[in-house]
Amino acid sequence: MQRLSFDFPADTRILAKIGNLAADAGRNAGFNDVGIGDIQLAIDEACTNTIIHGLKKDPSRTFQLIIQWKTDEIEILIHEKGEPFDPSATRIPDPEASLEDRPVGGLGIYFVRELMDKVEYRTDEEGIKTLRMVKRVSKS
Amino acid sequence: MNITENVQGNVHQVYLEGRFDADTADKVEEFIRKKIKKKISHFVLDMENVSFIASAGLRVVIVLAKELRGEHKGDLYVAALQPSVYRVFEISGLNNVLSIFDDTETATQSFN
Ligand SMILES: Nc1ncnc2c1ncn2[C@@H]1O[C@H](COP(=O)(O)OP(=O)(O)OP(=O)(O)O)[C@@H](O)[C@H]1O
Ligand SMILES: [Mg+2]
Repeated sequence: MQRLSFDFPADTRILAKIGNLAADAGRNAGFNDVGIGDIQLAIDEACTNTIIHGLKKDPSRTFQLIIQWKTDEIEILIHEKGEPFDPSATRIPDPEASLEDRPVGGLGIYFVRELMDKVEYRTDEEGIKTLRMVKRVSKS
Repeated sequence: MNITENVQGNVHQVYLEGRFDADTADKVEEFIRKKIKKKISHFVLDMENVSFIASAGLRVVIVLAKELRGEHKGDLYVAALQPSVYRVFEISGLNNVLSIFDDTETATQSFN
């Protein structure tokens, strides 16, 4: 098992770096290009939400990103103590909706759920939120 | 994100280069909004050199296409998507509601 851990500021400028870290880890775990793209998008959406909604783009606040992988599997953890958040209250977008009927936003969590095999949000007694997501190389 | 532009008749071809994410989406939106203010309503967004798009980028495309189609009788066409970027349009179902072209030339001609 390989493991990387980072403390990043709540600043969208770090997203490009996170994308590169995600691609390297995904490649090392054995994902193909499509799988690597999926992992990059899921990490990007999750970190973007943490930066914008959780930590209100305050660069003096940080979150922890952990990426760990072994052959055929990657696991990502994001720890953040920001705005409380109930993921069960989020609306699921309709991919069939016409342009006119589409709300602005609300695609980030949908992508995370679509692209990763396992997605869990939890909040501990101290208010620290954790998003955990896992993806496995599909054998089909 | 690098943005350049080329004008062909009444069609403004906007070329993006880099990541289209939460860090850069505002820049793209502002660039096009300034043109809309000057009564320009026909755009082609060329993404041949966009390697990554996130929901923040899609949000800009949706908002602008809606607005241009509605109030301005125009549109925002999308062109030259890399496969990984096209996939993101597909997962969100946006490939069914936006006009997506293989290249900017074809997109531009379809306006006329
Ligand atoms: N880490 C977080 N902390 C607090 N609130 C969050 C967090 N992640 C998501 N949310 C809430 O859940 C909502 C839905 O998130 P989602 O990423 O699906 O959409 P969005 O960020 O609003 O728009 P988009 O991602 O499409 O640009 C957000 O608007 C926000 O209110
Ligand atoms: Mg989001």
